[in-house]
Amino acid sequence: MTASQLLRLYPREWRKRYGEEFVATVGDGALRFQQVIDIVSGAIDARFSSDVRRSTTSPSQQGEATMTALKAACGRTQLRMTTKDGLIGAAIMIGVTFALSALGIFLKRSGSAELGEALTSISFSAALVVSMPFTFMKGQPWRAQAVICGGTLLILTAITYVATLI
Amino acid sequence: MKKTPDSLADLGRFSEPALLILISLADGPKHGYAMTQDIEAVSGQKLGPGTLYGAIARLETRKWIEPLPADDRRRPYRLTIAGQKVLRSRLESLRTMARVAQTRLADA
Repeated sequence: MTASQLLRLYPREWRKRYGEEFVATVGDGALRFQQVIDIVSGAIDARFSSDVRRSTTSPSQQGEATMTALKAACGRTQLRMTTKDGLIGAAIMIGVTFALSALGIFLKRSGSAELGEALTSISFSAALVVSMPFTFMKGQPWRAQAVICGGTLLILTAITYVATLI
Repeated sequence: MKKTPDSLADLGRFSEPALLILISLADGPKHGYAMTQDIEAVSGQKLGPGTLYGAIARLETRKWIEPLPADDRRRPYRLTIAGQKVLRSRLESLRTMARVAQTRLADA
C-alpha cells in the first residue's frame, strides 16, 4: 500500500491543500504497517476535526458552507410540511388536548386528584408534542421522533406529577 | 499548572508533536520531510505522516506556523512571531517543571 493510495481516505479539500507535499514527505514506496495505521488515523482526524477543516478552507468558504447547509435544512423543513400536514397536526393537537383534559377531570373525580391535576395541566403541551411527528418532525427518522417525543412527554409528565405532590 | 489561552495543551494528543514541530522550526523554515528527520535526530521520535500533518494543520489554523511558497512538491513552513511566543512560554513551563522534579528527587 502506498501513500498516494491512502491519500484517497482524506477529504478532498485536505488533499488539495496538503496532498502533494504529503506524498513528497512520505515517498511513494510501500509503507510499513505502523505508517499505514498512522495515515488512516490521520485521515479520520482530518474528516472529523474542526481544527483541521479550518486549515483547509478559507473563512469565506466556511461561511458559504454554513449558509448552504442552513438553506438546505430550512428548505427541507418547508418542503416536508404541507397544508394537509398542518391540518392533521392541528386536529391531533385539539383532539389530544380534549382527551387528556377529560381523562384528567375523570381521574380527579374518581379520587386520583394528583394524577388528574397533572394530566389536565400538561394536556396542551403534551398534545403539541404528540402532533410533532405530523408537523415539525415530519420526515425525520422514526427513532429520532420516538426519542424526542417520548422523552419530552416522559419528562413533562414526571415534572408535572412531582409538582402536584409538592 | 497555569494554562495560557493560547496553550499548546489545547491541542490534546497533538500537543507533543506540535511542540516538536515548533522546536524543529525554531532555527529556520523546513518542509515536512526535513522536520521528521530533524525531530528524530533531536528527540529520537519518528513522527508518522498522519500525526505530522495533523499537527501542522492545527499549528497553521492557530497561525503559529505559516507555509512558504512550495519548493518543487515540498512546501516549507516557518515559525511565526505568535508561534515563537507559544514555544518560549512552553519551554519556560517545562523548565519550571524540570526544576521542581529535580528538587523533589534530590529531597527524596
